Amino acid sequence: MTVSAERQTPRADCTAGPDGGITFDLDLRRGEAGETPELLLRLRGAKRTGGRGNTLRLPLSPLGGGRLRAVLPGTAAPAEGRWDVYVREPGADDDAAVAVEPGIRDVRLLMDRTPETGRIAVRIPYPTVDGRLAVRCWVRSPHAEAGPVTFDGGQMTVEGTLYGTRLGDDARVEARLTGAPDRVCRVPVAGKEGTFSFTLPLDRLSPGPVTEQQLWMLWLLPGTGAGEPADGVRISRILDDVWDRKNSFVYPGRSAGEGIRAIPCYSADNDLCVRLVPDPVQAR
Amino acid sequence: MHISFLLHNAYGVGGTIRTTFNLAGALAGHHDIEIVSVFRHRDVPALGAPEGVRMSHLVDLRKKSPSYDGDAAEHARPATVFPRGDSRYRQYSRLTDARVADHLRSLDADVVVGTRPGLNVQISRQARRGPVRIGQEHLTLDSHSYRLRREIGHRYALLDAVTTVTEADARAYRTGLKLPGVRIEAIANSVPEPGIAPADGDSKWVIAAGRLHKVKRYDLLVRAFADVVAVRPDWRLRIYGGGDATGNERQTLLALIGELGLYNHVFLMGPVNPLEAEWPKGAIAAVTSDRESFGMTIVEAMRCGLPVVATDCPHGPREIIEDGTDGRLVPVGDTAAVADALLGLIGDDEARHRSGRAALAASQRFDPSRIAERHERLFTELASRAPRDRSHGALRTTLHRARGTVLDGAYALRYKAADVIRKGKPA
Repeated sequence: MTVSAERQTPRADCTAGPDGGITFDLDLRRGEAGETPELLLRLRGAKRTGGRGNTLRLPLSPLGGGRLRAVLPGTAAPAEGRWDVYVREPGADDDAAVAVEPGIRDVRLLMDRTPETGRIAVRIPYPTVDGRLAVRCWVRSPHAEAGPVTFDGGQMTVEGTLYGTRLGDDARVEARLTGAPDRVCRVPVAGKEGTFSFTLPLDRLSPGPVTEQQLWMLWLLPGTGAGEPADGVRISRILDDVWDRKNSFVYPGRSAGEGIRAIPCYSADNDLCVRLVPDPVQAR
Repeated sequence: MHISFLLHNAYGVGGTIRTTFNLAGALAGHHDIEIVSVFRHRDVPALGAPEGVRMSHLVDLRKKSPSYDGDAAEHARPATVFPRGDSRYRQYSRLTDARVADHLRSLDADVVVGTRPGLNVQISRQARRGPVRIGQEHLTLDSHSYRLRREIGHRYALLDAVTTVTEADARAYRTGLKLPGVRIEAIANSVPEPGIAPADGDSKWVIAAGRLHKVKRYDLLVRAFADVVAVRPDWRLRIYGGGDATGNERQTLLALIGELGLYNHVFLMGPVNPLEAEWPKGAIAAVTSDRESFGMTIVEAMRCGLPVVATDCPHGPREIIEDGTDGRLVPVGDTAAVADALLGLIGDDEARHRSGRAALAASQRFDPSRIAERHERLFTELASRAPRDRSHGALRTTLHRARGTVLDGAYALRYKAADVIRKGKPA
């Protein structure tokens, strides 16, 4: 009945640096001599074949005590998305690389960041739901970082910080209904010195009855003319250590008309949204 | 020494498992250590097996395993040796009774250590003569049902020692039960040095952690934090921990946060494992429970260099925190006192940093190596005595166990009668 409970999976402790770099310290022990394995970061959902930008290769070098370390430099430019972390043994195929388990993730330096640059690059090492290590990356330029959300009656006000662009005279925020390109609600946005603030009367999202959940995405259109991104700037919250704030940044609902409840929320991608749901209490 | 731990389930997640692994791992440097798990429901221990420790199990509950025991007829019959008063009683059976008995009768160890009341009772009833019998209490005497208290009051007499995690609980055992000749000793739980640098005390976050359960009184903490935010809106609170099957505490807390307008300041972060990397993100920790059997999170936070504001509740906090030096103790259930203590540390950078450093230094006494030394001393001392000089000499064991059999019959009848009266159930 005795079993050996040796762990087969390599485990990595991660430290996120102030420059956006990440250090991975693996518990694989190797001698000084001989070839060392390499750390692979693969963009989830991307095609395996031919995609050069879909795999990052980081050399693993021995530390004292035989542990292995890889560094994702702050200057690297991984695309936005989720990158799964693997170890590939020397001589093995990429397909034979094994997934890495998350160890201790020291990401305190990511807390409450206010970067000085216009281009925002965020990398957060995190544990996936099935217990593997991954890195969540965002690359935004320009970027609209959502801050406090407050309410006044049926109105919601969002304050935030703007990076890499400035607000023009006709700056506005658009709420766009997912799955219905023609449903758009526009409100003016104010701000100065890299901040923005807008107020959205929640009942304006629902001219008619709501029978099933609706998800409205929030975009900022700086209105600065030539430099303006065609789609606008997605309003998100990414400048800290929370890779998925859907369940931790929770706001109360407000009435958005008869039988309708509006609830500001974040998506699993940390994008700010407003959810409209039928309100059974009011509808009765 | 050969030391054998008997654990309910070494493959799950929980405070008793973690603390047993810490102890076993620390003792493994100098001793032959095994952990015998009554149940096994997964291949690999969720908390990672301690290095140098042999692991085995008695009842296999892995559905895909060829030795799966879950369908055994004996496993469907209620246990008769494992005490009914233990909260895990329903998980035990005739099968566990027999497997644990076989294990204990053949166990050739110097010390056998039980880690919950039901298993301590089985050790006292079924261990062969020879090994030192230790019963560990990870909860507290006053948290046990009347039925369990009476059962252990009788059964524990055949143990050599009972260890509690606080002095307060040790006192309760000494004064509340008649256990002549049984050594009762308080040995705190251990917390290893975290594998992460301590907090620098400069962040503006307060951290709390633990399962979301009423007894943790997060409602009190959230209300207190409303007072904090009124004065210092630049500070925020994170509460780590998963919901509890016994209630809907998460929804209750979210509603409270909404009602108090704290949704930009107070966040329920959900369960996180390992937790140790979360403490250094904060500068102060808060524990506002109505009761704690020990106060593991207090020690964990201190080991990361955080001063802790804690309620002076039974049993652990006042044995861990030195009020005013490495943290603050406040009266139980007093929102204003929690807010005042938090604001005191928030408003005084010097005091906060000083308390954090003091917490880091003071919490070294909970290091597994130091705690293991205390267990080791106790085991060595008891093992050096012949069994007849301990509480369970041959004659005494025989007499006590015989008396136990008679009493069992009497209790069984009495419980049956009580059941009939309570539930109108046929006897």
